Amino acid sequence: MKKIVFALSLCSLISYSQVKKDTIVVFKKRVLETTEIDFLSSYYKQDGTHSSVGGGIGSEKLTNATANIVIAMPLNDDDVLTIDSGISAYTSASSSNINPFNASGASRGGEGDDDDRVAAVALATGPTGSPWQASSGASQSDVLAAINANYSHSSDDRNFIWNADVAFSNEYDYTSIGFGGGISKLFNDKNSEVSLKVNAYLDQWRPIYPTELSEFGKYGSGFQSNGYFAGVTVYNQSGAISSGYLPNTFTKWSAVGRNSYSASVGFSQVLTKKFQVSVFFDLLQQDGMLSTPYHRIYFADKPNYYIGNPASISNYENPSNSDVYLLADDIERLPNTRFKLPIGARLNYYLNETVVFRTYYRYYSDDWDIQAHTASIEIPVKVSDKFTIFPMYRYYTQLQSKYFAPFEQHLSTEKFYTSDFDLSTFNANQYGAGFTYTDIFTAAKIWKFGLKNIDFRFNHYERTDGLHADIATIAFKFVNQ
Amino acid sequence: MKKFLKLAVLLLVFQSCNSVKEYEKEKINDVDMKLSARASERYETSFQVYREAAAGANGGKSGGGCGCN
Repeated sequence: MKKIVFALSLCSLISYSQVKKDTIVVFKKRVLETTEIDFLSSYYKQDGTHSSVGGGIGSEKLTNATANIVIAMPLNDDDVLTIDSGISAYTSASSSNINPFNASGASRGGEGDDDDRVAAVALATGPTGSPWQASSGASQSDVLAAINANYSHSSDDRNFIWNADVAFSNEYDYTSIGFGGGISKLFNDKNSEVSLKVNAYLDQWRPIYPTELSEFGKYGSGFQSNGYFAGVTVYNQSGAISSGYLPNTFTKWSAVGRNSYSASVGFSQVLTKKFQVSVFFDLLQQDGMLSTPYHRIYFADKPNYYIGNPASISNYENPSNSDVYLLADDIERLPNTRFKLPIGARLNYYLNETVVFRTYYRYYSDDWDIQAHTASIEIPVKVSDKFTIFPMYRYYTQLQSKYFAPFEQHLSTEKFYTSDFDLSTFNANQYGAGFTYTDIFTAAKIWKFGLKNIDFRFNHYERTDGLHADIATIAFKFVNQ
Repeated sequence: MKKFLKLAVLLLVFQSCNSVKEYEKEKINDVDMKLSARASERYETSFQVYREAAAGANGGKSGGGCGCN
């Protein structure tokens, strides 16, 4: 075995030396011939029964529509500037239940909180809510706007590329600023490539909290006589009126920054005329406020208190519950640091002029004790000169974080806790298909831009915890003529 | 980590013994042979980052945004 490794290594060295002699720059082709514009759009919908805003139960119904425009412009023979701007709008039953109450409190009071944006509907019976239904709170929808600019430069022999990028995104309660750069080196007749990429994101929360905790944070132990809760009846587990609700574990976050740093190393290799492979290795470090401030927690060792219809308390965990809401004990608490270590590989094989195999595998682990495996395959089939169809399948499995427990299973003595099922143990299957239409002669035109490519894909996603989703994407590529 | 190093060494060895010339790369240069995700895959990657704990090692974005809905 040692002799074989030695022989192969020797072969490697000889090859390197030959490469150096053989590399001759014949001509200099523009990195990007002309301006390209991509229009991309997607529609996503999901549903499930483990809302993290509801402490692990409740509707996860969500829809999201997204559109992006990506413009790639050649600045000269070597340099390309790419601007990617987009907008994403969602509606979410889960997020709407940050304030789950379909009428404001008896006082209609409180300022500066999310619940102030609820229509002040005077109901004689007081406010009601349910984790299984969307409320009319303003947090039921939001819009994310994002822009990213990337500048890249290629060397004359096209064997060395460097790039730098900046990114900005903003939504109602979150802003992200990112920047980074990378280098790539090709060698061995461009059969091998090594790349290094680093990025930093400096993000900022503007935290919004579940209404009952926000009011406690504002008024302290007297909150049931002030603001939103003044005059609102609270019931205990047996349905009796009670003034015992006091979520004194809750405190507002004082530091609201979240920083993410990543370093990625990639290596790709052409193995034969039909087979190539790449390996990615990332180091990701996050620090700051890694918890989500409106994910409720219910402790097993604390008594339960409700707002709404006391007759429905025994039916609380059933999706038919429409008029009673359990008041939170706290929000999720997660450590201020997280270190992630994903390793991935792609193997692509050109079977023949009709069929290609595209495969991907990733192993992931982090210091919250999550381990995950991802495997996917896509098989493009060329049905004509212009059309390719591609069925695809993806399998994902993960083991839960040590900080996760389902609804009402955490204890108040724990230091860290979450009931976010995205951090639980589950498997997921995703399957779908897509097609691409390519016209290299760009016969269809809009103004001076010719349509080069249409790409459509649809996928269905199912998690073993019951969450299911569908996503459809369409993309158009135009080139300047 | 050890597995990755072994894989990296193996790939370095592979690359040395088999150099495919530019004029032999018609199949390798096929658009479906690209060693990266399709541009239209970005939104799927985005929702997977939200709905799953794992992220990264796919040549895509690995930070920024809360992904909390």
